[in-house]
Amino acid sequence: MTAAVFFGCTFIAFGPAIALFLFTIAREPLRVIFLIAGAFFWLVSLLLSSLVWFISVQISNKDSAVQQKGLLIFGVVLSVLLQETFRFAYYKLLKKANEGLLTLSQEETMPISIRQLAYVSGLGFGFMSGAFSVVNILADSVGPGTIGIHGDSQHYFLSSAFMTMAIILLHMFWGVVFFDACEKQQWWAVAAVVISHLVVSCLTFQNPEYVASLVPTYVILFLMGIWAFYSAGGSLRNLKLCLTCKDKDFLLANHRPR
Amino acid sequence: MNLERVPNEEKLGLCRKYYLGGFAFLPFLWLVNVVWFFREAFVKPAYTEQLQIKTYVKRSALGLLLWVAVLTTWITIYQHYRAQWGEVGDYISFTIPLGIP
Amino acid sequence: MDLVSKKWIFNVLLSMCFIGAACTSVEKKIYVHLNNTVPCVRLLNATHQIGCQSSLSGDVGVLHVLESEENLDFVLRTGLHPPYMVILEHRLFTRSIMMKLNNGSSRVAGVAVVAPDANPAEGFSPHNTCPNENTGVYSETYDPALAHCSTTVWNPLGNGLSYEEFDFPIFSLKDDNKTRFIRQCYFDHNRMVNGSSPQYPLCAMQLFSHMSAVTNTATCMRRNDLNLGITPEYVCDPLGDFNVWATTRPLNNTAKGHKMSESVVIAATRLDSRSFFFNIAPGAQSAASGFVTLLAAAHALRNITQEAPPNRTILYAFFQGETFDYIGSSRMVYDMENGQFLVDLDNIHSVLEVGQVGMRANSRLWLHSDPVSRRNGSIDEEVKTLVENIRSAVMTLNVSASEPNVSQPLPPSSFQRFLRSRPIPGVVIADHESSFSNRFYESMYDNAEYMRVSYPQNMTQEEQLQFVTDTAKALTEVATVLARALYKQAGGDQSQLSGINADPQIVTQMLYSFLIQSNNSWLQQIVPSDLAGHLKNTATNFYVGVMLQSSEPTHLVQHLLANLTGNVVNVTQQDCQNQRMEESDTVSKHTYTYTWVQGAVPPNATEREGYCVRSTVHLSKAVSPAFDLREFTSTDYSTWTESRWKTIKGRIFLVASHELEMVTLGVGVGVLLTSLLLTYVISSKADILFSSQREPTNATY
Repeated sequence: MTAAVFFGCTFIAFGPAIALFLFTIAREPLRVIFLIAGAFFWLVSLLLSSLVWFISVQISNKDSAVQQKGLLIFGVVLSVLLQETFRFAYYKLLKKANEGLLTLSQEETMPISIRQLAYVSGLGFGFMSGAFSVVNILADSVGPGTIGIHGDSQHYFLSSAFMTMAIILLHMFWGVVFFDACEKQQWWAVAAVVISHLVVSCLTFQNPEYVASLVPTYVILFLMGIWAFYSAGGSLRNLKLCLTCKDKDFLLANHRPR
Repeated sequence: MNLERVPNEEKLGLCRKYYLGGFAFLPFLWLVNVVWFFREAFVKPAYTEQLQIKTYVKRSALGLLLWVAVLTTWITIYQHYRAQWGEVGDYISFTIPLGIP
Repeated sequence: MDLVSKKWIFNVLLSMCFIGAACTSVEKKIYVHLNNTVPCVRLLNATHQIGCQSSLSGDVGVLHVLESEENLDFVLRTGLHPPYMVILEHRLFTRSIMMKLNNGSSRVAGVAVVAPDANPAEGFSPHNTCPNENTGVYSETYDPALAHCSTTVWNPLGNGLSYEEFDFPIFSLKDDNKTRFIRQCYFDHNRMVNGSSPQYPLCAMQLFSHMSAVTNTATCMRRNDLNLGITPEYVCDPLGDFNVWATTRPLNNTAKGHKMSESVVIAATRLDSRSFFFNIAPGAQSAASGFVTLLAAAHALRNITQEAPPNRTILYAFFQGETFDYIGSSRMVYDMENGQFLVDLDNIHSVLEVGQVGMRANSRLWLHSDPVSRRNGSIDEEVKTLVENIRSAVMTLNVSASEPNVSQPLPPSSFQRFLRSRPIPGVVIADHESSFSNRFYESMYDNAEYMRVSYPQNMTQEEQLQFVTDTAKALTEVATVLARALYKQAGGDQSQLSGINADPQIVTQMLYSFLIQSNNSWLQQIVPSDLAGHLKNTATNFYVGVMLQSSEPTHLVQHLLANLTGNVVNVTQQDCQNQRMEESDTVSKHTYTYTWVQGAVPPNATEREGYCVRSTVHLSKAVSPAFDLREFTSTDYSTWTESRWKTIKGRIFLVASHELEMVTLGVGVGVLLTSLLLTYVISSKADILFSSQREPTNATY
């Protein structure tokens, strides 16, 4: 029966990501390629941080709890910084690649805009980091047991799944905001992305107080979502138009200049 | 191979080859024949070789059905009675499950 | 066949993880692995299977600690969360409870029996009431009146659990931290509060003991032969090991079969025992008491048989696998009949067997003999002489020897296998007149505590090894009687008898080695270096096991016998290991065995100083002839096989309620559907949503 938990957690963690992939990415090969490249960049950043982690654990004093805790915090901060560095590196690479693509393509316009690239690469980062954070947990959720023999909360699987969902979406939003900020050279926005990433990562130290980590994370997710919406060109007016279904004339009006 | 680009005589030859091949205890050839040539035999507008193809496809389908019936019966009997057959059951088995009779 | 060693390493690693608390992986948050678990395994014979097994993926059940037999109703009928994993105190491990559980096995996932630290006050024997009923000499054709223990029930306490078949796994747990943890888990999560049923999450246990073999020996041996797959998958192995034997006179072991003008007195005993669970078979009274006595007697006879050799040769025989339908003795008799053994049945003068001798009441020994063969006058005369010889050996000692009622048959004994072949005069020495005095026959309580092998407090291991217990003194007396009787029976001189005395020191050391721990300074000195690593810090396990794995007691007895009956010879290590006195010596390997043993560490040295022991000790195969003859449905010979298995493990954890599981799944599906819908809507309207009218400059990128 615990297959139910496995599928439930998988759907929660990856449901939004799968939906986004199916409707926005799967149909365009170029986007798929950039998604996978983004996931690869995230992997490289993880490889580097795990290398540093491995070495520092080896040279640390394994009996000292304080030192181990400090090491863990150091590892998290380092990993976040590395991830954001790689995001920047990926941005630089995409800029270069875009120029190349532009020279190759016969048309005047780009085959894919930087805004789309930001979204696709952010989702790529999210997919990989989500997979890495939840796969081990999913493997154990198949059962027959559930968490709690040592007094841990029973909601571990559920909260892990929700945390993963938040991380994936956050990576997507961060990607959009980050690329937009780089494009406009608003360095404070880049710093805000890095800091919010750090905050979210450090919130997980609140576990197993899942409420204390999940609620702030979702608040940040919501705020980042709004920010990303605006960065991606959204506005209240657009939203209103969209919701009141006055889009038909708008579409026509808007399509002409393109 | 795209059947659309093959001349009708060759289609007939292929269909016949698959049909005859099926007699060498290869029912999967008949299955392929039925699936592959079904449109040629029954959907496409008529052409000279179609009648022949139709017969081959029909016979292949019949043979296939026979095979399916025979195999299903045998597998049901085997799974049901293997443990009861004892020694004989073990000798006609390739892999014997562990821990059950 | 098991993979126990691998599993142990794994368990050790796991427990290290627990202690270190450094491993916080999810798996460790869910499961607590049980170490010190001993399963009941599947054994098969010609007609059926016995023992237990789990399903391939392990059996899971909600824990229930059974408090009394009335409480069974909860498990079998009223409990709301079946199947249950029943935790039994050992006092509830009775036939009636186990059979009720077995009958209601759809609601029982398994049973874990908590073994107590101290032996129970009342008796307990999971064995049959009539051990080896069908393979002894007393068949319907031999004497219908004596068949099937109809005159004497040898093991009246036997409840036969060891010979039942169970559909679920049964494990034995040591009463330690983990067991307390299990109880705590049960009390925290599963216990009914004020009659209301407990709330999820519930504490559950999973036991893995899937057995490969099934039905009977013929089936599993056939499947062993039918391996068509890429990786051969064997399902069972015959039980068996090696008999240990030695002679007082060097005889040519290469020339098998009848030895002209050789007359042999066989001094026999058994080497093995069993219990309900796989590798706990302490067999103190049922096996150790007898063979320790015989070893001590052989030691007492070493010098006298060399200085004043009697006319006849004494053959010490230690039979393996006797518990399972006389594997060892039936094989030796079979070999004798076929000229495959040192001597044949014609060479046998008489048999003197040592049974269970550890619990004598009023210092009495009972001399059992076979009433059927004694109907023959000459045999009766010989038996009378033998009894007289034993009585004459007893005279000067504080022991009395009596014969039970003349019509009583022999107790279960190896000698029965000789009688099955032909009438031979013989006596079985035991401490019981009729039924066994052993109240824990073939059970896990037949241990040092029951044999009263105990030591004053605050003794070091070395002091314990040297301390002569009362049990050792008592067994020494029996050994002295036995040695003198053997010497007399072999035709030795009456005047020499008073010089034959067993050494209590040796007896107590042997008891310590077999019942407390074999890893001690004495045994380390007298075993070869390759065996020294296998010495254990626990009591010896006397379960015979499968042929492929050599049994520990066999080798210990082999080297003990070599040291106690053989001589130290001045031979180099190389010559010793090549079985010769010197390089030109090619003959002595036919009669002698040379063993290079570790020896002691001399004072002011760090290396052990090994030496060479020359003895007449040999091993002979103790595999039932049924497997050589490929008669797997034999009714004459033992057909016992042990199933193979892959994993034996147990773990406890919590199980979540179905509601929570369903809620998780529901939320998951909801999230998926919502996001599919939302994404579809957003992506279809993306043009409107993300069209930046205000920032036309950005539209190009």
